Amino acid sequence: MSTAETTTGSAAETAQTATRTARQPRRTPGLVPVAETLSTAERRTPEPAPPGLPPPVRRPGAFWRLLGSELGLTFRRPRNLAMLAVVGAVPILVGVALRMVGGGDDDGMGGMIASVAGNSLMLTFVSFSFLTLLLMPVAVAVVGGDSIAGEAGAGTLRYLLAAPAGRTRLLAVKFLNVVVYGYAVTAVVALSALVTGLLLFPAGDVTLLSGTTVPLTDGLLRIALSVGYIGAGMAALGAVAVALSTFTEVPVGAIAGTVVAVVVCQVLRAIPDLAPLEPYLLPARFTSFDSVLRDPIDTGTLLDGLSVFGAYTVLSLSVAWARFTGKDITS
Amino acid sequence: MTTVTQEAGAPFRAAPPSDAAIVTSGLTKRFRGGQVAVDALDLAVPRGSVYGFLGPNGSGKTTTIRMLLGLVSPTEGEHALLGLPLDQALPRVGALVEGPAFYPYLSGEANLRRFDAADPTASAATARERIGEALERVGLTAAAGKRFRNYSLGMRQRLAIAAALLGPRELLILDEPTNGLDPQGTREVRALVKEIAAGGTTVFVSSHLLAEVEQMCTHAAIMRTGKLVAQGTIASLSGGRAARIRVETPGPADAARVLTTLGLADVRADAYVSAELGGHAPEEINAVLVREGVAVRGLAVVRPSLEDVFVGLTGEGFDVDG
Amino acid sequence: MRRGTFVRWGVPIAAAAVIGAAIGAGPVVAAVSGDPVLPERSAQQLLADAAAAVEKTEGPLPMSGTVQQTASLGLPALPQTGSAGPLSLLSGSHEIKVWYGEGDKLRVAMPTQMNETNLIVDGDQAWYFDSATNTATKILFDPGARPDDMAEHAPQEMTPQAAAEKVLAQADEHTAVSVTNTAEVAGRPAYQLVLKPKDAGSLVEEVRLALDGENFVPLQVQVFAKGSAEPAFQVGFTQVTFTPPAPENFTFTPPPGAKVEEKKLTAPKKEELSEAHAEEARKAAEDVKIVGDGWTSVAVLPATLSDLKAQGGEEAQGGEEAQGEDGPRFGDEADPAALIETVLKSATPVSGPWGSGKLITTKLATVLLTDDGRLLVGAVTPEEITKAAGVR
Repeated sequence: MSTAETTTGSAAETAQTATRTARQPRRTPGLVPVAETLSTAERRTPEPAPPGLPPPVRRPGAFWRLLGSELGLTFRRPRNLAMLAVVGAVPILVGVALRMVGGGDDDGMGGMIASVAGNSLMLTFVSFSFLTLLLMPVAVAVVGGDSIAGEAGAGTLRYLLAAPAGRTRLLAVKFLNVVVYGYAVTAVVALSALVTGLLLFPAGDVTLLSGTTVPLTDGLLRIALSVGYIGAGMAALGAVAVALSTFTEVPVGAIAGTVVAVVVCQVLRAIPDLAPLEPYLLPARFTSFDSVLRDPIDTGTLLDGLSVFGAYTVLSLSVAWARFTGKDITS
Repeated sequence: MTTVTQEAGAPFRAAPPSDAAIVTSGLTKRFRGGQVAVDALDLAVPRGSVYGFLGPNGSGKTTTIRMLLGLVSPTEGEHALLGLPLDQALPRVGALVEGPAFYPYLSGEANLRRFDAADPTASAATARERIGEALERVGLTAAAGKRFRNYSLGMRQRLAIAAALLGPRELLILDEPTNGLDPQGTREVRALVKEIAAGGTTVFVSSHLLAEVEQMCTHAAIMRTGKLVAQGTIASLSGGRAARIRVETPGPADAARVLTTLGLADVRADAYVSAELGGHAPEEINAVLVREGVAVRGLAVVRPSLEDVFVGLTGEGFDVDG
Repeated sequence: MRRGTFVRWGVPIAAAAVIGAAIGAGPVVAAVSGDPVLPERSAQQLLADAAAAVEKTEGPLPMSGTVQQTASLGLPALPQTGSAGPLSLLSGSHEIKVWYGEGDKLRVAMPTQMNETNLIVDGDQAWYFDSATNTATKILFDPGARPDDMAEHAPQEMTPQAAAEKVLAQADEHTAVSVTNTAEVAGRPAYQLVLKPKDAGSLVEEVRLALDGENFVPLQVQVFAKGSAEPAFQVGFTQVTFTPPAPENFTFTPPPGAKVEEKKLTAPKKEELSEAHAEEARKAAEDVKIVGDGWTSVAVLPATLSDLKAQGGEEAQGGEEAQGEDGPRFGDEADPAALIETVLKSATPVSGPWGSGKLITTKLATVLLTDDGRLLVGAVTPEEITKAAGVR
């Protein structure tokens, strides 16, 4: 703040005070402005309850009630359900297509088709390898990008904050909501692929990429593991989308920003000269779920991926928090 | 400079229990680009009052309300609601800010449930009951299950007021509550505000309609281009200029003489004879005039309206009809 | 600015700092903590220790780990064809996983996106499995044929052991061998053996060989080109465990539905994967002349531009056939004709008393294709190679 500004401000104030005193002497009761420091805030002794209603008490389940409300909104919104339906339809299409191709000569079959034809469970992984490239990230970006910007655009944000939802609390709820949606998207793909696979292809022992054969239950366990991993990746992407969402009042902007970022990352991955960059790109880690199909499971790669997801999540959420708690809500 | 946001917890020392529902001191908002929306505002809203926040559109009313609710952080200055830190005060404050905003794909009732869930002090167990009551108070019970997007403008406004009444409130902050309402709706809202105020709740109502404030409010503040130009009870604001007695008579000289002998100040004889009423009772003056043989054709007490006050203070007309 | 703003944005800045620190932690910690402390050893002692360690365990120590190979040879961008092909190893970074079991057990896996190629060697038999083609190839060794030879064709060439052996074999009167400061490789303290060419004409500045401080197993080989701080070629463990791997790693049963092929390896020879290649190799060997010795040796073979292009085309076809008929090939090979085309584009025309030709320089190798139909290749400076061109 410049000195000039301060001087003008106080000058104006003095002038105003003068006119006010002349017109109608008045005094602001009991307000003692103090410099804002953490310590004064902490040292503040509890004031006796002012006259009026009994002091409101924070209800213990209030956070979960707000999260429930948020989830209800997300999972009742037709747009979000449509996206779940689309990602859920892809494994069915892939399964039917593979079934029709796989009916032909065995020699023409590539490894992927052959492995699906050989075992129903592989359809899940094949579906994931298609969907994690763009479609699943888009679904998550829509919900994440809409989270804050959507409320701001509709004007409901001001009423939520006046309720008071609390900014940090609302941000936490919004993020958890995206996490749940990201896992829902992942689970829908897995379940749809699993059911389609079981209907169209033989069930039984699963052949891993390493050529090892494991029992069906082990295969299901590996699907669960991949769902956990991809879901975490989607959550990290959701955090990025939520962060972008705090910078705009136009949800489409935040959504498009996230999707463009994903596409750009996929393009960068294809450029060989930029290979050193690849380990740090979030979308590049989504496809590492294939580590669960190796024997032994490549836990190192999975953990590397999870730490990248964690880093993106922490960084994005802290940016979102810094932005959102300091933002003037003018919509 | 200090910041006041909900997250900051208690950036200022809470005022000791006082009769002020809203206190601001030097509250200033300078937006990026240097535009000063609110300039060193000192408001004092007493508890139990119906406080009219008057000003033309764009005079900084909404920005002030946003600062009070912690939506916008002030550039300078302090403010307190109910003498409490903001996060403790807000659950007791119902607010209608800059028109209704709801989820179009949800029903009116579901919308209220959503905002009730956002309040950490609201009990889920009583939500249904409280939402029902709020809807009934604004007369929306019949339309509770209808989607918000199918609501008329008036219904939307009433739903927004219902949202402000979801819990027991000590303070209602209503920004232009009669906007978009038909005359019937406007009357209903005024009746509602009076009813709420009668229950002891402080009502802070912003408006650009002078007549509305005059009819509803006990107190008023007048804003102009971000600055507070006057504040006080309606009576004191009007009393800033004295009530005058006005006598219509064929003998103005006699009447003026009588009024002067009675000790009234500022006696003027134009088309009418008039003087400051002071502490006199109009009927006594009338009796004296008659006794002194002045032919009185008409006698009136003229009190300046808020509009006169405003014009007097700002030298500017007011958009009376909205 | 308001103070609250600074405080708030301090949080993401701190988060970014922590993440940045975590990414850079390895190098930073290494720099701060200094080199690991190991008992001092001379180069000779070290080589003896290494040899003794190999003797003692009769082959590689049971271990497993991840090997990363990085090459920045300064080649022009290669056409990206096969993802796992040997040519793809010439640029970029690649990872393989290796498991060494007791005795002759070995597993090498090369993971790629949703695919994996595996070579599993257990005594006299080996399996090669490629998940992309869902083909399992059983390789039977004739008595007398060592599985090691087989492994030598395979990506094991990338393993430090094999690379180290090659390097040590070259350590002769042309090389200055010394021990430099210790280093940490794959989280283990390691000795660093430095092999430095004595001849100034070599493009190789030095070769660093990192030997595990405890087991003397080669952990990393780095080849530094002259005037470059970063290694032009590096292969080493990024993660290593000296515990015997689980026995499951060395057993292989062809999965149901996989194509199973069988191949017998009789009298296996280096550089030989098909009859056609063997023929070519023999022919080539007759023509190849070596000029100079040690680090500055230059291979001279007859070739013309048109020959190279034609041969490239044939080779591409031959390669495909070989893959179809003979089995083990790691992935698809880049089209050699296209490769030659690309490389020749970056060639600079040169001339001198020896004649004229096209010169291709990379960080580690110089190639001269003379207009009178000779191809000279060597890890030497352009001056050195033109000198060799003058030798008839």
